[in-house]
Amino acid sequence: MISRGRSLFLGLLFAATLHAGSGQAESLITSLSSDQVLIESNFTGAEIVIFGQIGRDGQTVARPGNYDLAVVLRGPEQIVTTRRKDRFLGLWVNREAETFYAVPSFYVMSSTRPPTEMGHRTMLEKYGIGINYLNLPISPQSEVPLSDRDDFRDAFLRLRRQQGVFSEQAGKVEFLTDSLFRTTISLPATTPVGVYTVDTYLIHEGAMLATQEKGLTVAKTGFEQMAFDLAHQRPALYGVLAVVIAVFTGWLAGVVFRKD
Amino acid sequence: MQIYLPIAEISVNMFLIFGMGGAVGFLSGLFGIGGGFLLTPLLIFSGIPPAVAVATVTTQIVASSSSGVLAYWRRGAIDMKMATVLLIAGVVGSAAGAWLFEILKNMGQLDVVISLSYVTFLGTIGGLMLVESVGAIRRRRQGSNRPARHPGQHNWIHGLPFKMRFRQSKLYVSVIPILALGAGIGFLGTVLGIGGGFMMVPALIYLLRMPTGIVVGTSLMQILFTMAAATILHAMTTQTIDIVLALILMVGGVIGAQFGARMGQKLRGDQLRLLLALLVLAVGVRFAVDLLITPDDFFSVAIKEGKG
Repeated sequence: MISRGRSLFLGLLFAATLHAGSGQAESLITSLSSDQVLIESNFTGAEIVIFGQIGRDGQTVARPGNYDLAVVLRGPEQIVTTRRKDRFLGLWVNREAETFYAVPSFYVMSSTRPPTEMGHRTMLEKYGIGINYLNLPISPQSEVPLSDRDDFRDAFLRLRRQQGVFSEQAGKVEFLTDSLFRTTISLPATTPVGVYTVDTYLIHEGAMLATQEKGLTVAKTGFEQMAFDLAHQRPALYGVLAVVIAVFTGWLAGVVFRKD
Repeated sequence: MQIYLPIAEISVNMFLIFGMGGAVGFLSGLFGIGGGFLLTPLLIFSGIPPAVAVATVTTQIVASSSSGVLAYWRRGAIDMKMATVLLIAGVVGSAAGAWLFEILKNMGQLDVVISLSYVTFLGTIGGLMLVESVGAIRRRRQGSNRPARHPGQHNWIHGLPFKMRFRQSKLYVSVIPILALGAGIGFLGTVLGIGGGFMMVPALIYLLRMPTGIVVGTSLMQILFTMAAATILHAMTTQTIDIVLALILMVGGVIGAQFGARMGQKLRGDQLRLLLALLVLAVGVRFAVDLLITPDDFFSVAIKEGKG
């Protein structure tokens, strides 16, 4: 990891020198320590290091103050239903439900400062920077009264945080030099598989200067992938195999523990 | 040691799952039940997605029941004709159960129906068994012998038409209650993700008056085939059987079952039934508490589409 990080770092410096000199505004270059995370049987999570360089040259506008950076990792989108329990005939049962469409299955935002300090609500919402500024689309036919919608939204975000799939880490983007920065994002053992995006936003005094997007693939490998493919592509065979394995295990136990 | 489950798509502690399988296997060997009604809630509680837990437990029950069936088969303690009739009805019941399962899942009311059913069935059966076993223990303490059961003893069930002869069970009864029993348990089993052994065994003994020696083997035979069919159905429809999870549970389960069976031989029948009654009641009460007590969190999230 260390040697990989160093070569990545040098590569970035090189790339930055080539890239600079394109014009007035800053440019942004980022790179991931790895663009794919492979899940094997001993997978307990992974760490992704994101390096980046803010490109400036003589022609770039001089700006007072510091730059802000936000790095957002988003998992593949999914449809999630949030339900609320209510009393019905003395029993606590699910009553109202709100379905959110196209929400990320995984969301981590790492930034130099808390989102509210980096810019205005409009900008944060536009780019989805910060858990509270995420766009959570609902169905137009939603039956939840307007006054209750925020409750569902808050509950959804709170539960996703509790489950460890939504998180924010303000102050975790560190500058190595004036223009070179780095941040680390941890993927937990519950990380969903799929294609992720890593978006880096360069902000200065509330204005978006540059953005960069990188892809990250989280995929199963080896036996895990084989079992998953079999279960989905040859379901009948998978079922029969499961039964055969189960009967064999039962039979084996009977033979091993047989008293006579 | 953490191990990644390819279908559940999460990492779990292998020894924790192994221990759960072992503990439930122990109880299953001790009481002659499948233990699905204990294992499914335990898995869900430990973070396995409910759909994966329900489907994978069916595979685990295939393993545990096949080990038992083999033992009873060697002793010739299985009524194949009875098992076949129960099985045919069971398939019809399971199909109806799968249909209801899908409807309830879409309505978001699956949890409450499952909880209510657990409370009702576990409460009723646990209560009946408790009364019966306490009575039996008291009678034994007082030294009075239980009236011996006459093979020809009849109840209202024996007055029904469409009679069929079951040689092994020494029964000549109507097929109606047998079909109803098989269909009812198949139906509940599919909806609740359980084998239904804890309902089947008392029903065969008390309703049909089948000889106790034949009941457990016959019930296990019916469970084995129903759960094998359920495994294949789950594999083809929900695709949520996790073979790695199933294997860990199976190995833990079959080892636990052997120790349970040995322990069971040291205890008296009425003591065993009392313990099982208390266990069944405890699970029932646990579900009742969830329905009656104000929840800590009113909200819950469920993924409808997409991974995660």
